[in-house]
Amino acid sequence: MNVKIIKLEGNELRFVLEGVDVSIANALRRVMLAEVPSMAIDEVIIIENTSPVFDEMLAHRLGLIPLVTDLESYVLPEECECRGEGCIKCTLTLTLEKNAEEEGVIVYSSDLQSQDPVVRPVSGNIPIAKMARGQRIVLEAHARLGKGKVHAKWQPVSTCAYKYMPILEIKEEKCIRCGDCVSFCPKGVLAVEGERLVVKNILDCSLCKSCEEVCRFDAVKVSWDDKSFIFNIESTGALPPSEIVRVAINILLKKLSDLAEGVPIAVREEAH
Amino acid sequence: MMIPIRCFTCGALIADKWEEYARRVRQGEEPKSILDSMNLKRYCCRRMILSHTDLIDEILPFSQKIRKKEEEYL
Repeated sequence: MNVKIIKLEGNELRFVLEGVDVSIANALRRVMLAEVPSMAIDEVIIIENTSPVFDEMLAHRLGLIPLVTDLESYVLPEECECRGEGCIKCTLTLTLEKNAEEEGVIVYSSDLQSQDPVVRPVSGNIPIAKMARGQRIVLEAHARLGKGKVHAKWQPVSTCAYKYMPILEIKEEKCIRCGDCVSFCPKGVLAVEGERLVVKNILDCSLCKSCEEVCRFDAVKVSWDDKSFIFNIESTGALPPSEIVRVAINILLKKLSDLAEGVPIAVREEAH
Repeated sequence: MMIPIRCFTCGALIADKWEEYARRVRQGEEPKSILDSMNLKRYCCRRMILSHTDLIDEILPFSQKIRKKEEEYL
């Protein structure tokens, strides 16, 4: 197995995973989507709300705000000692209080006061509600760790996808450098440079086979390596993308070791 | 009514980009170039911003009037 990082910029990560089966690549993708925990507001106690944004809408909008997650200090409510009742180890309280002293006051995510300075909204510029003069919002929100399989608000990634590594074969003896494939490729993978047709950026190829179809001389052939994957991960900002991959691998390993431990026990029980 | 917090399709955060977008469109900039500069690459996220109409300002005056009526009634 070989991993090559192509791009790691802010919330984006692109890497090539070589020498594994689709099943492993897909397991990794699914764990990242559905099993990696992240923080989100789960419960909202509305004390006062005279704004035109209804309580349920307000709660829904608050829930969708991605929060910067600290996986070291918090545990999942179902794994907590308090058994999900809500203690400082699994629940974080955020408060919001805002009066509209003038017309058209916007409540932003930066108005949320968090108990823990580490766990805060990813961006302070998220508009939550708008109020007319004299209106008021006072609320308390409880944020918890959760998994993407329960609700999409707990998904730490927005895109998490892979594709096979494309292979483009150019048969030099058949090619007449007409440039049809160059203009037909929607991703701009091919180019004619001097007297040769060259592959510029193979990683951008979407395997659409437009070049193969348009070529009258069968000079281009598109195929792929089914043991090599290009992963594209984009974080919502809750966790850094490299951390998401690391945590996902640990979760996957934990699942496998649980299975390895569980099977002999089940076999023994069956024998009795 | 207000800009949705996340993209309906992929779940990426888009709400924090709305105000800048609206301001730049008012100043006469091309929507395409604004979306590109905001790093909104996928068409799912682009349509969220591009097709949004902020209606909250139309509702705002009514909410106040309804409130006043309610208070008078009490």
